[in-house]
Amino acid sequence: MRILIADDDALSRRLLEKTLERANYEVTAVEDGRHAVEILSKPDAPRLALLDWMMPELDGPGICREIRKRRDQGYVYIILLTSKESKEDIVAGLESGADDYLVKPFDAEELKARLRTGERILHLENRLVEAREQMRFKATHDPLTSLWNRGVIMDLMGRELVRSQRERGCTAALLGDIDHFKSVNDTHGHLVGDQVLGEVARRLLLSVRSYDFVGRYGGEEFLIVLNNCRPDSAIARAEEIRKAICTRPIQTDAGLLGITMSLGVLLSSDWGRRPADELLREVDAALYAAKTAGRNCVRLAKREEPREVASAPQPAAERFR
Amino acid sequence: MNKANRSSEAASVNLSELLARVDNDRALLCELLSIFKREFPDHLQALRNAVAGNDADQAARVSHTLKGMLANLAVAKAAASASRLERLARAGEISSLGGALAGFEKDVQGLLPEMESYLAEARL
Repeated sequence: MRILIADDDALSRRLLEKTLERANYEVTAVEDGRHAVEILSKPDAPRLALLDWMMPELDGPGICREIRKRRDQGYVYIILLTSKESKEDIVAGLESGADDYLVKPFDAEELKARLRTGERILHLENRLVEAREQMRFKATHDPLTSLWNRGVIMDLMGRELVRSQRERGCTAALLGDIDHFKSVNDTHGHLVGDQVLGEVARRLLLSVRSYDFVGRYGGEEFLIVLNNCRPDSAIARAEEIRKAICTRPIQTDAGLLGITMSLGVLLSSDWGRRPADELLREVDAALYAAKTAGRNCVRLAKREEPREVASAPQPAAERFR
Repeated sequence: MNKANRSSEAASVNLSELLARVDNDRALLCELLSIFKREFPDHLQALRNAVAGNDADQAARVSHTLKGMLANLAVAKAAASASRLERLARAGEISSLGGALAGFEKDVQGLLPEMESYLAEARL
């Protein structure tokens, strides 16, 4: 465990340093309050701090106030070292944001016991942060594939569309649908279907760049948002994704299954200023066109073409997927 | 170490307390005594100057530092008179500082030679 010591008295600082090193702490020692704040403000700062109350420039309570102003970093457990005995002083120190105080000259065993209390608090905070992160993950990701869920991927797409418009760039939206997925489920059961979804998701993630977005849009439908995509390379990239799915069969409990994907592609630069849901309808129409063209292929959403397809008598989901 | 204890009446370090504080680490003890030897004369001089110049704030700061050092080295009596100096200086009782300083000087009389002899013994 790392710990920061701030004490302007060299003798006291050395004694503390040695005592804590013996107790297996990794010690950083500084001689004034400014340095202490500087170190505690770094991203990988020690989470335990032992601060002398009285120091020139910035004293212990002053450091506490500075540290407690920040909301963005992990909690720092602060113990003030004081030779003061008056109650008013101790109350003032604790109200500045200190967690505990210790009267000098300190007793090594008491110091260590109080630091262990601090570690327990930090451990508790870590667990809470971890739980919060898990909840956040669950709220934003699809549980089966761990891809972004529908709400988030649509938000991300909306944001990227606005950004590419502002920067006069191009965002490509790809809507991919696993061909004949219903028959996988019907023939081999949902467990195998889930294995297929999981592997498709993994391959999608592997075939995009780290700053692109992949989300599960619906049952076997995936929405892929390619940021800053060159218009002339969008089809090629969609083809790569298509091949990433169909080239190798997928290993499942029912053996190797040949799986293919149809994709609709839309370039934001072709469509001007349109809301995301409208563009989603267009890319869905392009996907439908790919299904109609025999599946396992890519179709681009063009301003005219998809409209014809969209006038087909029955919804795509029923007839082709 | 007995020799050292005999040689100084006023100062007297509580050696067993000090050794407990450093966990019987002689090397650390030497280090702390060296720090003290190096820093104490300057602090004492700064205290004298502050008292002579009626600078209560500075006197409070320096006596606070001295109090801490002396307490860490288990020199209880001198730490207590440094504490008294600090208290008086904080209260702004400038007229009492001269007397308190004299008392403090008496309490630290012979402290450095005493430390010196511990240092010599600890290094053996």
